[in-house]
Amino acid sequence: MNEARTDLPQGTLDLLILKVVALEALHGYAIAQRLQKISRDVVQVQQGSLYPALHRLENRGLLTADWKLSDTGREAKFYRLTAKGRAQLGTEEANWRRLTEAIALILAAREAGA
Amino acid sequence: MMGVLGRLLRRRRLEVQLDAELRDHLERQTADYVRDGLSEAEARRRAQLELGGFEQVKEACRDARGTRLVEDLGQDLRYGARVLRKSPVFTLVAALSLALGIGANTAIFTLVDSLVLRALPVRNARQLVRLEGGSWTNPIWEQIRERQHGLFDGAMACSDTRFDLSPGGESEFVQGIWASGGFFDVLGVSAILGRTFTPEDDRRDGGPEGPVAVISYAFWQRRYGGAADAVGRALVLNGVPFTVIGVTPPGFFGTTVGRSYDVAAPIGMVDRLQHGGDSQLDGRSFWWLEIFARLKPGQTLEAATQALRGVQPQIREATKRETGRPEDQADFLRDGLTLAAAANGFSEVRGRYAKPLLTLMVVVGLVLLIACANLASLQVARANARRRELSARLALGASRSRLARQLLSENLLLAVPGALLGLAFARWGSRLLVGQISGPEALVFLDLSLHYRVLAFTLAVTIGTTLLFGIVPALRAGRVPPADAIKQQGAGLAGEGTGALGGPLVVIQVALSLVLLFGAGLFVRTFTRLAHLDLGLDDTPLLLVSLDAQRSVVPASGRAALYARAQEAVRALPGVAGAAVSAIAPLSGMGWKTRFQVKGRPKLANRESEAWVNAVTPGFFTAYGTPLLAGRDFDRRDGMGAQAVAIVNEAFVRRFLSAENALGRQLVRESEPGLTPPPAEIVGVAKDAVYRSPREPIPPTVYLSLAQMGPDMWPFASLTLRAATGSPALLAKAVTSELATVDPRLSLSFRLLSDDLRSSLMGERLLAMLSAFFGGLALLLAGMGLYGVTSYGVSRRRTEIGVRMALGAEASGVIRLVLGQAVRLVALGLVIGTGFSLWASRFVSTLLFGLEPYDPATLAGAAAVLTAISLVAAGLPARRASQIDPAQVLREG
Repeated sequence: MNEARTDLPQGTLDLLILKVVALEALHGYAIAQRLQKISRDVVQVQQGSLYPALHRLENRGLLTADWKLSDTGREAKFYRLTAKGRAQLGTEEANWRRLTEAIALILAAREAGA
Repeated sequence: MMGVLGRLLRRRRLEVQLDAELRDHLERQTADYVRDGLSEAEARRRAQLELGGFEQVKEACRDARGTRLVEDLGQDLRYGARVLRKSPVFTLVAALSLALGIGANTAIFTLVDSLVLRALPVRNARQLVRLEGGSWTNPIWEQIRERQHGLFDGAMACSDTRFDLSPGGESEFVQGIWASGGFFDVLGVSAILGRTFTPEDDRRDGGPEGPVAVISYAFWQRRYGGAADAVGRALVLNGVPFTVIGVTPPGFFGTTVGRSYDVAAPIGMVDRLQHGGDSQLDGRSFWWLEIFARLKPGQTLEAATQALRGVQPQIREATKRETGRPEDQADFLRDGLTLAAAANGFSEVRGRYAKPLLTLMVVVGLVLLIACANLASLQVARANARRRELSARLALGASRSRLARQLLSENLLLAVPGALLGLAFARWGSRLLVGQISGPEALVFLDLSLHYRVLAFTLAVTIGTTLLFGIVPALRAGRVPPADAIKQQGAGLAGEGTGALGGPLVVIQVALSLVLLFGAGLFVRTFTRLAHLDLGLDDTPLLLVSLDAQRSVVPASGRAALYARAQEAVRALPGVAGAAVSAIAPLSGMGWKTRFQVKGRPKLANRESEAWVNAVTPGFFTAYGTPLLAGRDFDRRDGMGAQAVAIVNEAFVRRFLSAENALGRQLVRESEPGLTPPPAEIVGVAKDAVYRSPREPIPPTVYLSLAQMGPDMWPFASLTLRAATGSPALLAKAVTSELATVDPRLSLSFRLLSDDLRSSLMGERLLAMLSAFFGGLALLLAGMGLYGVTSYGVSRRRTEIGVRMALGAEASGVIRLVLGQAVRLVALGLVIGTGFSLWASRFVSTLLFGLEPYDPATLAGAAAVLTAISLVAAGLPARRASQIDPAQVLREG
């Protein structure tokens, strides 16, 4: 199973975080779990790099956070998307689509040619 | 930006939240694993493993916050302060040597800046040009004035002078400027109160408002307390009433750097302020004005010079002397007028002190370098001692750049107080220096207010210093492999490479110190030579009274008699042992030079036939203690109508008479054709005595009888008094009242001959004093550096030395071992320093007197002193090394 896991391409962690948080406000652990689930354990997210990424996005004003009482009875930090973050998500999604389509096209062409 | 600031202010809360967030993550992960069936302990371990190092993640999150650099700086500074507090001696030595180094550099730079670099505080100073070649006559200025608007964007003339504000008796001098009507307009200086001069004010004998004067801000404050109604008040200059019409801004001190002005008066008034004499306005051989012009926009210096040369024939033709030797006139017509840039004004003080100051700038720069080398080796030693601390921090996850930054901020902590202390020291020091070069006769004034350029210089020096002494240890700290450093503690065997940097630093220090010591030696010897020259006068204190007869009603033909009466009057005063009047006071810097010919001797070439002249009363040689070697002194017989007589000095006899007997020879003074004075008979030969400056060889000198000068005698003379007992300065009061009875309109000013001598050697004295001081400082620093490096080497090689001794090495052998290493470093430093000294000394050859720049004795002396200090500095740790107890070292093993 480990062999099947792929490292995230550079810069895509931010995009995934924005996407996950776009649906609802989540705390850090939930975001990590969600990422694992959504990617069906294919994409390996280093937990160590998740939190710095969250803080970076918060700093850039793409995410905002509130401390709320959570299911454990303790306060937890819940991240949610800001308007700026939503716009950024849109742009990055579009970019990503264009990129993957272009790469798919290139790959298809090579196979056809071979 | 506000975000960053906010985050900085909320830092503590953010830290708590970060901790809580990560802990929350761990709790949830652990709980999940426990639910999956893992044991509590195993679950916790897995969770932590997956998150990665708790502290590392925190660090990464802090990095993401974007306020890292600032936060770290604060942290580093706090930590640095703690570290520095723990080693107060190091901190004190470092901060003080930096303060001294930075302060000395700033002080000298302040002077260099205000004397050499700074542009005059006038409109667009770059356009200002000056007519080269000394001073000019008023007729020449008038010619240029008529043509100024065609040639330039305006021209002006001025001359430094002093005005006497007193009604008579002892003078009350203020610094003055004779200014043409366009002076202030061409400079672009406007009045802050009232107005400045117009061309009409500059008319001869005063303009429509009569004689008017413009005063400086400082004078306005001093004399009128800054009163608004100062404009319109009367001000008496040399006995003539003027009206104050304006005040100039506080930053304007005139065009002569090194001098400030109090009162400016129009050139057209000059003849009114002098009584009985040739017109200074019409005199075609009265060279007294500086001429400046402002270039037209876009006009180059060369173009302006060309334009001026175009009208030169007319200017020269209209201003040539009616009489005079034809070859002199031809020279006069041919001599091309040339303009030079004058953005930073003109200055005699600059000519005199620029080179010594630049030399001192280099000296203090080198001292700062030595201090840096010292601090660098101290830092390296400390960094080695702190390796465990640094490696521990590396192991705990600090990045290498972070460590380097921390060491640099420690250095900043040392350098910033050093710089602040240095600035304070510099303000005091530069004032002190200006006070030193200021003589009683020549008050030196420099604008020493903190200028942006000085501040920028200090800032640059501080940052440069910090980097210089801090960067190497910081880089090395980054290279320590943590595991190695933690393992490697205590012991230490030979061949360990970490202290190696101390060596090169010592070599550099020794080399630079040798350069400084050699320089100091040269300057000190120059000064001692000058101070112990045989000046041909005895060193009894003499009082000099400058007599100024410009305001006297006595006509030019009666001046010699007036001076003789003054001499007679003061000679009778109690306490006066001798008195004499001379046209020129020795060492005053004034001079009078003429061509001579001795009858019956071959005629000498033009330059060769020049000798310096003085006109003196009887008793002059006694008063100055200059012995007469042959013949007699002047006496009552040598007056008007009697046979003209002269006394010459030995140098004159050597040059003009090839050492033949001089007495009885006829001396012809060459003057303008038709005015040849009767030949004078040589009646005495005096011992060589100084004329203008102790630096020049004593020139051939002719003393004429003052009583025979007739109308040639000018309205200035010097009265010299020798006191019977005590200080001659005490005679001043009695002399003032006595001379008032001779002529109440005679202006007087007093000074001591020793002051003149002192100020004529001030440049040399200053250079000798300061270079000796800094040479000593360099020696001290180099000694400390060598001591530090050697001690450190001994402490590192303790084990090795202990083992050697256990194996039978003698104490003397150990001393040789330690000293040998130090001696090798010092020897290498001496060799490099010698090369550097010999190369550098060429640049100071003009500052030396009676010495060659490569003077071997001085160099050997400097090297000997440095070697002696080095032996002491390295000998102390060497002796300690020889006292190491082998048994103890082996037990420590």
